[in-house]
Amino acid sequence: MGLLGDTGRVSESSRVQSAPDPSYNGVSASGEPVVDVRDLRVRFGSVEAVRGIDLRAYAGQATALLGRNGAGKSTTMRVLAGVIPPSGGEVRLAGYDVRTDPMAVKRASGYCPDVGGLVPRATPWEHLELSARLRRLAPGWDERARELLERFELGDAAYRVTSGFSHGMGRRMSVVLAAFHEPRVLLLDEPFDGVDPLGVEATLEVISDARARGACVLVSTHLRELAVEACTTAVVLRGGSRVDTVRAEELGGEGGARAYRDLLD
Amino acid sequence: MPTATSWTDPLRDLRHLVRFRLAQSRRPARLRLMVGVLVVLTLAAMVVPAYLPGAADYEHGRAFDLLLLLPSGYAGFLGLATVSAVASGGGRELVPREEAVAWPIGPATDHAGALLMAPLNIAWLLQGWLLLGATAYVVGPGTLPLAQPIALLWLAFGTALAQLLAWTMEAIRRGRYGVVLTRSLMALVGLAMAGAVVSGRLTGVLDELPTVRLVTVIAAATTGLSWSWVVAVVVLLLLTVVVAGLGVLPARVALRRPARDEQRLETGHYPPRRHPRSELLAMVRVDRASVWRAVSLRRGVILLAAAPGLVALSGDLEWELLTVLPGLVASGAALLFGVNAWCLDGRGGLWRDSLPVAPGAVFAARVWVLLELLLASSAATLVLAGLRAGRPSAAEIAALLCCWLVVALQVVSLSMRWSVRQPFAVDLRSARATPAPPMVMVGYSGRLALSTTVTGLVFSGVAQLADWQVALLVTVPFLSVAGIRLLRARDAWVDPVVRSRVVATVAA
Repeated sequence: MGLLGDTGRVSESSRVQSAPDPSYNGVSASGEPVVDVRDLRVRFGSVEAVRGIDLRAYAGQATALLGRNGAGKSTTMRVLAGVIPPSGGEVRLAGYDVRTDPMAVKRASGYCPDVGGLVPRATPWEHLELSARLRRLAPGWDERARELLERFELGDAAYRVTSGFSHGMGRRMSVVLAAFHEPRVLLLDEPFDGVDPLGVEATLEVISDARARGACVLVSTHLRELAVEACTTAVVLRGGSRVDTVRAEELGGEGGARAYRDLLD
Repeated sequence: MPTATSWTDPLRDLRHLVRFRLAQSRRPARLRLMVGVLVVLTLAAMVVPAYLPGAADYEHGRAFDLLLLLPSGYAGFLGLATVSAVASGGGRELVPREEAVAWPIGPATDHAGALLMAPLNIAWLLQGWLLLGATAYVVGPGTLPLAQPIALLWLAFGTALAQLLAWTMEAIRRGRYGVVLTRSLMALVGLAMAGAVVSGRLTGVLDELPTVRLVTVIAAATTGLSWSWVVAVVVLLLLTVVVAGLGVLPARVALRRPARDEQRLETGHYPPRRHPRSELLAMVRVDRASVWRAVSLRRGVILLAAAPGLVALSGDLEWELLTVLPGLVASGAALLFGVNAWCLDGRGGLWRDSLPVAPGAVFAARVWVLLELLLASSAATLVLAGLRAGRPSAAEIAALLCCWLVVALQVVSLSMRWSVRQPFAVDLRSARATPAPPMVMVGYSGRLALSTTVTGLVFSGVAQLADWQVALLVTVPFLSVAGIRLLRARDAWVDPVVRSRVVATVAA
């Protein structure tokens, strides 16, 4: 089934309560999900930021989380990264429960947060060194670090503190840090935000490489066209709930834009 | 859209900014309570000492001794206010720079905001209360209505002059060769002070201070209203207004120029070092760099390590009195960032929390960095202060060392508790930034000052005992309480719900 099917607007409740099947809402995938989210709920005081999201993502695939501001994309990503504990529901990443085994979740994932993501008075190299040490990477990580910095055109800034970086440089560096240790699950929250075309290209390349080595990629963005280009599947969120899951290509072009807009309203 | 301008605009803007800042308060009732407490304490400092035994008694009491010291105290207030304003790059910001960029805030408003913020600093408050209290004690109850207006006007004038000097220094510092010039100037002042102390001319210098005339007017007020009192009030009032107004000029120059210190740190290269040998060392290295690469923290630590030691050196303090210094320095150093320790990570907090490392180890690294900073800065102070204090007894040295350790741990445990309980998103890039809003900082300062001063006084008493082992015994309960508090703060941090709230707040 396509994004809108034959009826135009989709009933939200029918989408949210989709069966816990690897193939849901017409999007099929094979194998066990690497990211398996069931009825995720996140509450901050009296505000319920996420209201029962179901989500499954698979190895070798890239899934986009789309939606307007406040849809719950970043909160979901933070839960997946083990940074925020879920208030309800079940979340498993690479087979580990984020609630009971957050350390294993953090080892298996690489996370690019939506805001900043960089320690202001540390250099990119110091970020990479800390990551390598805490992730216990084998000697020789330096080469991979240098290669990534060069690919994202950050080689010249490797020894400068990040507080002097432009917004785009900061975003690119955050993607480098997320992808550096070749995680099984790559979590990129707004990786294209304010990034120049070369940076976007490098990020798309990182996503493609990750998929090629069998990693599961999740990209949260409000940039539909880039989501279509980078991802195989798109999950549309609204008001903290999932409203639909579609093949990313169905959101492409003018028809996709119209359909996407309908889902957001 | 055209906008009219007038000389009152900065004051109008200031009013709006103050309202905006007050509206951001998370606990308005608590804020009102704190303001009330500050007003009551100030009134108490102005009145209560006048009714103490020995007040205004120049023959039998200590009033005469205090009268002799009062000119130095008045001058000391000006010196402290100046040093504080210079170190913070022109005074504290009423609205953080990141938020302020959205509005057209001119240098005059910025200057007025800095003037308004100056008293919201525990050093200013303590010094101010001390001066008001000493003045009240010297003149007694009958002369309070005539003496305290002069004291209050001096506080206002001193603050305005300190601000003028601070903006001037900042304008120089931001100019060409500014860093070299300001450092040379500071070295000259330091050498001049050291020369006066070594040559024994310090007393002569203090006797020549202009504040002697001010104190003469205050003392003369005991005989009733006189022309000299009226002249003093009018002159101080005029000077305060003129100096406060003049402060706009250097402020304008300073704020037009780029902040060279900040730029130098942000654009400088920090070559890689050998890979850290352990996870803990890796985290300590990043946290330590976050401290020393922030202009406000670097300046603050250096100032705190040197200034109290130099004052104690010139005052020729004895060993038993040195026990109050570690608390003073440790509290000051914690107020630079320790009371909101997680703000060091800034927006990198989310990424750091996504790394696979035990939260307890992250906590330990932050405690390590804070503790080493407090211990090192207070050690430097003690070394300086001890240069002229003679040979200490075993009890004195034991009490001092124990006190040094105890207050450092006390301050760290309180700081870490506050850091977890009440985090703030703060950008420490600016030399004028503080780790928490002004009224919160006053609260923290008061709590730290109280607990460390009490501890210092306890160990001061212990230093006068014959047996040095008593110091060790007294240390045990202090360390235990601080240790338990620190463990509780750690437990709170390890809780994923609490930690996620802290991280999300500082990274916002």
